Amino acid sequence: MFDSVLDVEKQLSAQDYICDQKISTVVFLAEKLEKPVLVEGPAGVGKTELAKVVAAATGRRMIRLQCYEGLDEAKALYEWEYSKQLLYTQILKEKFSEAMAGSTTLSEAAERVGKEDSVFFSEQFIVPRPLLSAITSEDATLLLIDEVDKSDPEFEAFLLEVLSDFQVTIPELGTISSRTKPLVFLTSNNAREMSDALKRRCLHLYIDFPSQELEQRILETKVPGVEQRLAADLVEMMAKLRRLDLKKVPSISETLDWARALLALNAKELDAEFVGQTLNVILKYEGDVRKAQGELSQLLEKKAAKAHATAESVTEVPEAKAVKKGALH
Amino acid sequence: MQQKILEFTNILRKSGIRVSTAETIDAFKALDELSIEDRGVFRDALCATMVKRGEEVATFQQLFDLFWSGFYDSLREQFEEAGAGLAEMGVDLDELLKQIAEMLQDMDGEVGDLSDLARAMLLGDLNQLEQMIRAAAEASGVQNIENFLQVGFFSRRTLEQMGVEGASDELRDLAAALEEAGMDPDQVAALRRLIEGLTEAARKGIRNYTERELQQQNHDYMEKFRRETLLEKSFYHLSEDETRKMREVVERLAQRIKNILSIRRRRLKRGKLDLHQTLRRNMSHGGIPFELIFKQRKKDRPKLVILCDVSSSVANVSRFMLQFVYSLQDAFTKIRSYVFVAELGDVTELFREGDISQSIEKALDGGGVINVYTRSNFGYAFHHFWQNHLSVIDNKTTVLILGDARNNYNDPRAWCLRDIHNKAKNVVWLNPESPSAWGFGDSVMNRYLPYTDVAEECRNLKQLSSIIDRLVL
Repeated sequence: MFDSVLDVEKQLSAQDYICDQKISTVVFLAEKLEKPVLVEGPAGVGKTELAKVVAAATGRRMIRLQCYEGLDEAKALYEWEYSKQLLYTQILKEKFSEAMAGSTTLSEAAERVGKEDSVFFSEQFIVPRPLLSAITSEDATLLLIDEVDKSDPEFEAFLLEVLSDFQVTIPELGTISSRTKPLVFLTSNNAREMSDALKRRCLHLYIDFPSQELEQRILETKVPGVEQRLAADLVEMMAKLRRLDLKKVPSISETLDWARALLALNAKELDAEFVGQTLNVILKYEGDVRKAQGELSQLLEKKAAKAHATAESVTEVPEAKAVKKGALH
Repeated sequence: MQQKILEFTNILRKSGIRVSTAETIDAFKALDELSIEDRGVFRDALCATMVKRGEEVATFQQLFDLFWSGFYDSLREQFEEAGAGLAEMGVDLDELLKQIAEMLQDMDGEVGDLSDLARAMLLGDLNQLEQMIRAAAEASGVQNIENFLQVGFFSRRTLEQMGVEGASDELRDLAAALEEAGMDPDQVAALRRLIEGLTEAARKGIRNYTERELQQQNHDYMEKFRRETLLEKSFYHLSEDETRKMREVVERLAQRIKNILSIRRRRLKRGKLDLHQTLRRNMSHGGIPFELIFKQRKKDRPKLVILCDVSSSVANVSRFMLQFVYSLQDAFTKIRSYVFVAELGDVTELFREGDISQSIEKALDGGGVINVYTRSNFGYAFHHFWQNHLSVIDNKTTVLILGDARNNYNDPRAWCLRDIHNKAKNVVWLNPESPSAWGFGDSVMNRYLPYTDVAEECRNLKQLSSIIDRLVL
């Protein structure tokens, strides 16, 4: 349970997730109002990660439902375990004969079987899928419905019903309501516009690329070995890249990958060589790489010139200090 | 507060953000849970509960800033300015006020005798002033403001409603009375100046408020206006900025058509029974076919051959058509594109590379294959195509020609198009000129018309999208 918006921010950062106030406000409200959160934004800004850390921070068990085209109720909610039912019938064959031993007519036999059919349609033979397990779970859960935009519109309509009152009706068993209301996160890459009805039921959170300052904090938290200057350079470079008209804009996860790659290569600072070698870590299209290369080499030259200038001034300063020290002694 | 949030909701709705009642209730619930001291949290809470589309967030931010902030600050600025004038004269405002109060006491009166407005102005009680301005503005019907020309009218009405002039006169009388009572002339001058400053500040404040109101009320209007007109604006008259915006609109339209396509495809899914898959899927059912799997029927996707006139007169139309078609690449099996003015050049290769917009710009520039600085000659181009590229057309190919058919009195060689028409599945001609102009002057559209299956006017995005829509489906 969170006490305040600030508390959310603190608890999430304890889980190594650095977020801005917008995200923490929505997370706080989601828990207070018991409303699902629809998280949208470009790929790789940490939508799924957010759900994971919220689960960890609140001590909820995370149940994940990955959506894809053709996902249906049987795979999302529950399914009768047909083969198990079949197996049991075969094992229990003799018992059936016993049960029907006295019956003389076909209809009488059918009636007796009918009395026993609840044996086969009980919770024992149900395979709970993510939605049902989130609803029936004893302990508090966090349900992550990932990439909901990939699912079909029909599934979305079905989801509405579940999200509105967290109960499911199974014809053979009756209505099952949730014991503890799960916290629900839906993520979407905007491949398809979600229906207004679904949106209305959710809190909306749009996560965009972070500000430079925030991204640097993220970088320093997630990749501890990275030096501050390198991190600042990286982040600045990424911000420049995002402004280019690229086919696939690099996101935070790519920044992290890049930082790790540079760390592995023992790079102390960004220079043209390292950048050239590792550009394919952040850019996934040949055309993008070519476009970025021109832009980046310019930037690096400028940076090198500047670094040179500051390096000179830096070497001057210690001398001055040394003189001062000498004078003091 | 409640009232203000409801008002804000109304403004959001007017701007095209759909906020339902349930969402407003959510917003109230959310605010119950939060302290609204922090502006950022307050904004984020409203945003999360009321705005559900990523692209609407920017609008929300703008409106939020307009609505929830600024007016008080701007009012304060105005009044500080008035106070600053005093400092220049070497008079301290607090000191002056104290002296006024003292003198009034000697004259058996006090500041409290002044009217509310005059007192608020003199003492700089901005909270009170803000409330009075709001009330007066509402009473004068400022929420009905529609355009910029009305700002003056509504400001004046609000001024009158508030009685600012009356309050100023009151203050002026006060100054005169103080002078008579023997106040230091320098100070009286300072006071007079202050009074004028305050009156001006109040006037500016009111005008400011009216302008803000106008911006709020009309925010949506301008936005919507821009979007709609872009759809219907002729390609001929696009400014550079609009061209950029248009690119986004085209992209969005293409995305929409893609969505529709995927749904229609899915409906077409059922073909023959897929025995193989069915057996595999039903193994867990003991081989009894509970679930049937059908083969997907493949809908023939059209092959497209595009002939684009890239002479300067139609370049813009070509640009957006190419963008549209290439955004929908996967709806076609194959796209071959040619550009021509007089010569004809194959630019299909240009589009192999990822970036569409760059390829288009290159293609419009002739793609390094043809010279674009000549005069249009459709006959020559078609003949060239007939000689060298006729083999790319088969009975599944749709030929899409884009041009105004202004042939500069050259030989139209319509028989080339006839042969193309005979070989292809469809010939579609998009002409940016309206049908009434076809065949007049140097237009040879009428000569080509018999050999096209569809020939349509295409001068704005709306027409373009409806044509492409029909083409793919």
